[in-house]
Amino acid sequence: MTDAKQDEVDPNAPVAGMDFFMQLEYHELLCPVVREFADALMDKRLIGHRCPQCGLVYSPPRGYCPICVVPTTKADEIELATRGIVTNYTVVTPVQYYGQEETEPFAKVSLQLDGGGNLSLQDLLEVPVEQVHPGMRVEVVWAPDSERKVDDITNRSWGTAEGAIQGWKPTGEPDASPDDYSDKVF
Amino acid sequence: MSTQPAAVIGIGQTKHKKKRDDVSLPGLVREAAQRALDDAELNWTDIDAVVLGKAPDPFEGVMMPELSMADALGANGKPIMRVHTAGSVGGSTALVATHLVQTGVHDRVLTVAYEKQAEGNAQWGLAGGRSGGMGAGGIFAPWMRTYIRRSGAPEDIGWKVAVKDRQNACKNPYAHLHLPDISIEKVKESPMLWDPIHFLESCPSSDGAVAMVLTNEAGAKKAPRKPAWVLGTAMRSELGTFPGRDTVRPRAGVECAHMVYDAAGIKNPREQIDVAELYVPFSWYEPMWLEGHDIAGPGEGWRMVESGETEITGNFPVNASGGVLSSNPIGASGMLRFAEAALQVRGEAGEHQVADAHVGLAQAYGGSAQYFAMWVVGSTLDAVDKKK
Ligand SMILES: [Zn+2]
Repeated sequence: MTDAKQDEVDPNAPVAGMDFFMQLEYHELLCPVVREFADALMDKRLIGHRCPQCGLVYSPPRGYCPICVVPTTKADEIELATRGIVTNYTVVTPVQYYGQEETEPFAKVSLQLDGGGNLSLQDLLEVPVEQVHPGMRVEVVWAPDSERKVDDITNRSWGTAEGAIQGWKPTGEPDASPDDYSDKVF
Repeated sequence: MSTQPAAVIGIGQTKHKKKRDDVSLPGLVREAAQRALDDAELNWTDIDAVVLGKAPDPFEGVMMPELSMADALGANGKPIMRVHTAGSVGGSTALVATHLVQTGVHDRVLTVAYEKQAEGNAQWGLAGGRSGGMGAGGIFAPWMRTYIRRSGAPEDIGWKVAVKDRQNACKNPYAHLHLPDISIEKVKESPMLWDPIHFLESCPSSDGAVAMVLTNEAGAKKAPRKPAWVLGTAMRSELGTFPGRDTVRPRAGVECAHMVYDAAGIKNPREQIDVAELYVPFSWYEPMWLEGHDIAGPGEGWRMVESGETEITGNFPVNASGGVLSSNPIGASGMLRFAEAALQVRGEAGEHQVADAHVGLAQAYGGSAQYFAMWVVGSTLDAVDKKK
């Protein structure tokens, strides 16, 4: 409760409710393929597994293709491009819930990487939010060596790679054609 | 598996509100359950089993609430279980209860779903409490952009859905939001939360509960009021994220719809369904689900909205109750769709009753639109046949 709020409270009034924040801190052991993904990020590399059966690329790798229900191994590991196309986006106006530091609208984008693989919920840098649009060509901006960390990577990771990647910035190339990305709507 | 008919003979819900600080969690579920029992004119001792559902525990910060709720639900000595499938949980919970009756395991089952979101912080829960978190709206917003781009829908479709559902809610005394002055202008001018979703195109955060009593054919014949017969049920899931996933038209949603249509003998959903309660927490989901469940063809969903077909007086009324856009106690929201469809075919929906509603569809979805639950209910066991 903030000080300002406390000032308004009548000390003799019955307590009807109070703010109570929970915190649960625990360490999650990463499964081996996700550990390799995290190590690669520290090395400024993005890796994935290409399913030997259907060819879909999973990044982070999962050690299996859930669609074909087949295992994937080190032999299926590929290095992904760190350039790609913005396929989709939203601009979020931050709601000031506990823990949110943003105060100004920010963009989150979905990316189709050149040569295969996709990432969702990525930060777009150096572009005013009103100029964000699908088709933009972007490249990775790694966090500086001293700040790069992979603490946010979990076995449930959706490929956000927060902590290692600061965001993505425009390459300045012309926009991609909608045919190149319109079916990629993750 | 041999199955027998199941029917809803009692329905009860609370007045959904921003904050129910007059009751505890058990008090809230008790209130809805008692109303469902009263509607069925049954006592707590008449119930054989209790099936409870709610969304993630962090929404209230009370872990495993089912443990402390068993007494409030008269479950001493009876089987009780909890179901959890994120936002679709209310629907899945009703289906688990239905299956217990259809398989003859129990004769009379009480099913309850609830959320008391004011005791927690839903935005925190949905966004994971981290800076830069998106919440559900942030996850769905890009998919809506894709729907708009693919279908060529004009931007006012979302606003129209928002106005329609809020106007319907004014006819539903249990709905959380009663906004009689809502207008297209107001929706359009409301703050943009997750582009293209405005504040007034988003669901509220509510406290509330809903309950139903389900029974078999013999039980339904003894019921004091008209039963709603369960003509078909379906559940499906898919992965929340995988390369090539079609998030605008999730395959699990298409398959779930076809499974429930087949189970109910429905060949042409748009013609044979009289009333639908679809899970629409953000306005654009109405046209998306009309297409995603093959009620409308590609690009036709938004045309149904535009032409007024989904209004209470239209050919295919959607969310006559005001829907999730008007009341969103998340764990209960799915079961509210199921209960409202049942109310409609019983002819007990009061001011928001759709005329001649004999076949109703209810749908709930959850997670990253990865869990689906649906049922079709009818005023009679042959309600669909009569439409052929
Ligand atoms: Zn595969």
